[in-house]
Amino acid sequence: MIEFLTIPGVILIIGAVLLTLLPKKFRSSAFLIFPIAALVFVITRPDGYTLTASLGSFELIVMEVDALSRVFGIIFAITAFVAGTYAWHIKDLGQQVNALVYAGSALGVTFAGDLLTLIIFWELMAVSSTWLIWANRNEASDKAGMRYLIYHVLGGGLFLAGIIWHYMETGSILVESLAQEYTFGNVMMLIGVSINAAVIPLHTWLADAYPKATVTGAVFMSAFTTKSAVYVLIRVFPGWELLIWFGAAMAIYGVIYAVICKDIREILAYHIISQVGFMVCGIGIGTDLALNGATAHAYSHILYKSLLFMSTGAVLYATGTSKLVNLGGLAKKMPYVLGLYLVGGFSISGLPLFNGYISKSMTISAAGYAHNEAAMLMLLFASVGTFLSVGLKLPYYTWFAKEDNDIEVKPLPKNMYIGMGIAAFACIFYGLYPQALYMYLPFDADYNPFTVYHFVEITQISLMTFAGFWLLRKKLAGELIIALDVDWFYRKATPAARRIFVQGVDSFYDRVEEKIWDIAGFLTKKFKNPMLWLNPFTDRENQASRYSPSMEVVMSFILFTILVLSLFYLT
Amino acid sequence: MKNWHWIILGLLFLVTLVLEFTYLADYDSHWWNSVPAFYALFGFISCIVIIYFAKFIAKKIVNRDINYYD
Repeated sequence: MIEFLTIPGVILIIGAVLLTLLPKKFRSSAFLIFPIAALVFVITRPDGYTLTASLGSFELIVMEVDALSRVFGIIFAITAFVAGTYAWHIKDLGQQVNALVYAGSALGVTFAGDLLTLIIFWELMAVSSTWLIWANRNEASDKAGMRYLIYHVLGGGLFLAGIIWHYMETGSILVESLAQEYTFGNVMMLIGVSINAAVIPLHTWLADAYPKATVTGAVFMSAFTTKSAVYVLIRVFPGWELLIWFGAAMAIYGVIYAVICKDIREILAYHIISQVGFMVCGIGIGTDLALNGATAHAYSHILYKSLLFMSTGAVLYATGTSKLVNLGGLAKKMPYVLGLYLVGGFSISGLPLFNGYISKSMTISAAGYAHNEAAMLMLLFASVGTFLSVGLKLPYYTWFAKEDNDIEVKPLPKNMYIGMGIAAFACIFYGLYPQALYMYLPFDADYNPFTVYHFVEITQISLMTFAGFWLLRKKLAGELIIALDVDWFYRKATPAARRIFVQGVDSFYDRVEEKIWDIAGFLTKKFKNPMLWLNPFTDRENQASRYSPSMEVVMSFILFTILVLSLFYLT
Repeated sequence: MKNWHWIILGLLFLVTLVLEFTYLADYDSHWWNSVPAFYALFGFISCIVIIYFAKFIAKKIVNRDINYYD
């Protein structure tokens, strides 16, 4: 029984409970202990380690370790630690507890061996992450958080429906790879997971909610939801061809929108969609190299994306704005943040010696080796856009572009620098020494990123992207706009839906109520003096306090009729 | 961007071209490997296409006033 407490996800969730009992000043430090404890158990558990429990007639596998779940477990635990360091100055218990539960449930999803355990952690992830949006405590985040929650509850519901259908058909609740058959159950599960993976057109919750989350909450969110969905896709839907094209389309869609967006965290949010597109495309290709590429890219992505969210969060924390139009000219005021940001920016762009290079090139090569040249070119096209927005546009208009900026810059807490520093170190470390990541990859496929071909490929692309950017940089300047996405359909539909389902129903009941009152009033009035209409020969009003002979006559007549009728019918 | 920045980038580009035409001269795994400096052209054209296409749909379809949803 005690072993159940060593499940990495459970460690973090217990940690969240313990956190509430601790005095305020120890909480932030205690927060960091639990991810480390989880990391120890993730690394030390051998392949094939399982923990089972029974629930009714179900045999649950609450923890199952293999190479794939280990590599995701490691990065989730590391990110929880890094983001916890970055958020060390936060004294908000609600955020701390929910961040731990969130990270814990992402780990729970990773090690779940059966679909029931998985869906429980899955839903927990949705609920706890919503708090990280609401913790901003303003109207925009309240509403965005509610939209986010509804979207994820819908996704979880579809996923659960798929699981139940799948169980009815096959009798299995194991988390295992499914043959590519578009049965109702499989499709429901795929849609449910796709919502969390932000597959277009089900991606709008991400670009809507992440920019409105708290500075520190967005760092947690950038790591867990989409990547745990990527993990489930690798596990359950490897080689589903549909995913190739959805993935490639996501990759391009994200970068196009990132060019349009003028809010630094929104740009990064669209780049999560784009980068997850690379992973989804790799999962669709489904070869060992492609799945390794998707796994490695998820690992690298979590590191550099959390670094990017931390450094843009630092800008937002220091200046109070995340709009490009107000930023610019910060190079002298925030030089360290610029340096740390650029590490993340160069990593996501896949420049050599940074960690994006070792994983992105693997996914793109896998498309090439599978002779899917259209997908390969689409991914290369998307990586041009990645460098353009995250590597060039965002830093240019945040730190340069203007000579100076008279915006007031608050000093950053030291722990923010430490959090960013760890992530930046990891980005460079894995970029220089990819074997440290490759040895954990689950599938058997040799790959060497440091070839002349890849170097020429990415260097030429990046240099010429830079040239194109420099020519047209004025076109990318900040403006105060919002960019509509397919969320327009439900955000604009809200008033209409309210009119039909709330106001419509309301006014219908109002009208019915009015009518009922009218009828009741009419009947009371009539039956107060039934004599007026029962006995047409009198116009005397009946009075309750006085004896009324005519009433007696009428009543006797009615009684007599009943008696006669009953005589007829009863005999 | 100072002049020496451009010189460094230019030299780096030259290095990639030299590598492509010497070391990778016989490399052939995709149809585009026979196009000289394909990745440079691809990078430049893609960048221009992305910017203009994004500006186009921004202008025509998606850009709205910041208070659009309020």
